[in-house]
Amino acid sequence: MSLFEARNVTKRFGGLTAVNAVDFNVQQGEIVGLIGPNGAGKTTFFNVISGFMKPDEGDVRFLGESIVGHKPSDICKRGMTRTFQIVKPFPEMTVTDNILVGAFNHHRDAATANKKAREVMELVGLGAQAEKLGRELTVAGRKRVELAKALATEPKLMLLDEVMAGLTPSEVTGMIEVLGRVRDAGVTMVIVEHVMQVIMNLSDRIYVLHHGEAIAEGSPKSITSDPRVMEAYLGESFVAEPGGEHAS
Amino acid sequence: MIRLRDHWFYLVVLAGLLVLPLFTDSDFVNAVMPSGLTGSALLHVFILMFFFAFMSQSWNIIGGFAGQLSIGHAAFFGIGAYTSTICYIHLGLSPWLGMFVAAGFTAMIGAGLGLISFHYGLRGPFFTLVTVAFAEITRLILLHWNFVGAANGILLPYSRDAGFWDFQFNGKEPYYYIALVMMLCSIALVAWVARSRFGYYLHAIRQDEDAAEAVGVPTKRCKIQAIALSAALAGLGGTFYAQYTQYIVPDDMVIGRVSVEILLGTVIGGAGTIMGPIVGAFILIPVGEATRVIFEGGGTGISLTTLIQSDVGLAEKFSGYLAYLAGGGGGGLAVLLYGVLLIAVVLGMPGGVLPWLTRKRKSFAKSDKKGDS
Repeated sequence: MSLFEARNVTKRFGGLTAVNAVDFNVQQGEIVGLIGPNGAGKTTFFNVISGFMKPDEGDVRFLGESIVGHKPSDICKRGMTRTFQIVKPFPEMTVTDNILVGAFNHHRDAATANKKAREVMELVGLGAQAEKLGRELTVAGRKRVELAKALATEPKLMLLDEVMAGLTPSEVTGMIEVLGRVRDAGVTMVIVEHVMQVIMNLSDRIYVLHHGEAIAEGSPKSITSDPRVMEAYLGESFVAEPGGEHAS
Repeated sequence: MIRLRDHWFYLVVLAGLLVLPLFTDSDFVNAVMPSGLTGSALLHVFILMFFFAFMSQSWNIIGGFAGQLSIGHAAFFGIGAYTSTICYIHLGLSPWLGMFVAAGFTAMIGAGLGLISFHYGLRGPFFTLVTVAFAEITRLILLHWNFVGAANGILLPYSRDAGFWDFQFNGKEPYYYIALVMMLCSIALVAWVARSRFGYYLHAIRQDEDAAEAVGVPTKRCKIQAIALSAALAGLGGTFYAQYTQYIVPDDMVIGRVSVEILLGTVIGGAGTIMGPIVGAFILIPVGEATRVIFEGGGTGISLTTLIQSDVGLAEKFSGYLAYLAGGGGGGLAVLLYGVLLIAVVLGMPGGVLPWLTRKRKSFAKSDKKGDS
């Protein structure tokens, strides 16, 4: 049984089909990448599978049960959490309290939740900024808080929506390190990303979305040499040339 | 853990309040206070302060912590007053028990209102409009329902030998201590909420509902619980008001002005803080009462039309106008000053007095440290 499975998921906005009959599955312990050009439907797909939008067709299953129509907070209780591309730290709370809100997901008691929050804070490297307010953080700090909040809910599966966007190359390296530690802690992840360095480094498997359809799936290596993927990213003329070095 | 050392200021104030009724008629008070503000009139001001602090604290839970602006709390307040009073008159139930019946009833109504509003995802101004409409509907029902006295309201039966269980007292001192205890209980409740998971969840909801939902906060349920708790407290306040004034009438109670007065204490003092509503009420009520007592005298008999038509310079006209206001003309200078104060606080201390003070203290502490190094 897959940890997570989306079957035939379709989402339309009026006449526009943003996500079209996508099949998608995640096994326990994997890191699955989700890529695609701008406007491919990645974020919509994310919103649908995390419970923030309802699919028009298809089913989303987590731990063998359908989660369609469940509230995100309920899905989070079951062990699946998402982050937002446009990060949403609680601006008037300290970093500690931001993470604490997440930690309350499985700990009712403030003392144990606090302990959990401190643990997570160390894991993602936010210890030095514990007492800063959410709105005082840099972009990199906000991204880490976003990740930490999600992590504090103790998810089995974490959906990360562009945690690297807006980071400098050195910050990206730091974040990759953090995600590696998260993986070692046993959290399965789905990452949507534009930064190829990240996807290629971290993913076990990659799905490619284009015009709302899943056009390819496979290991990072097989994806880079897939003509359909090259076409999606670079246009048809490049694919006509043999070799395909342009894709990298 | 609450360390008493950190709260010495509040403890001193509390000690002062506990012994205050012993001194309201003393020579000292008579010498310092304006003539209309001594003795039982002074006690009345303090009772109002405690009462509005309590009501603001009730509003603080839904409006401050959860960030859902209600401009309809007068309705919960009114329903609470009517519920316990009807129980008292028709069932002979002691208002002490009636106030909890009232609280239970207003909590249910609050939860129902929340259920409808939040089920349909009403946020921000739309929820606020629902609360306004709800208050207006409540007022109209009370105004036209003969069983509860319609527009005449209910005059609570007064008896000379009313005892403790009737929640009726001759002097103001018992009401003073009841109001004080109610205020202290509301502070304790909110302090507990602020440190609990529920409090953190409400703060998270106020700051970003989607983000809260994503990390497992059941936003709808929390908001409904918050409005129910808030409404229950407002209902308790309603009973106190009914017993203190002995007369309840829709057009004095379930009106927009009361709803605004309830939320004003919190907004001025600091929404979403534990002591904000208290600080706010302790500023607003005395200022309101003092300006009223000081400036609303007899009226000096200046006519506004004569003043406008008189053949004098602009500066003289203006000072004449101030004299006219000070004499109690045109609604009185009292309201004007009160309004100016409100605007000054809102502009000068966004977020409220208490957060402003905290920020000041922090920046002082920082500059101290810099001086040391």
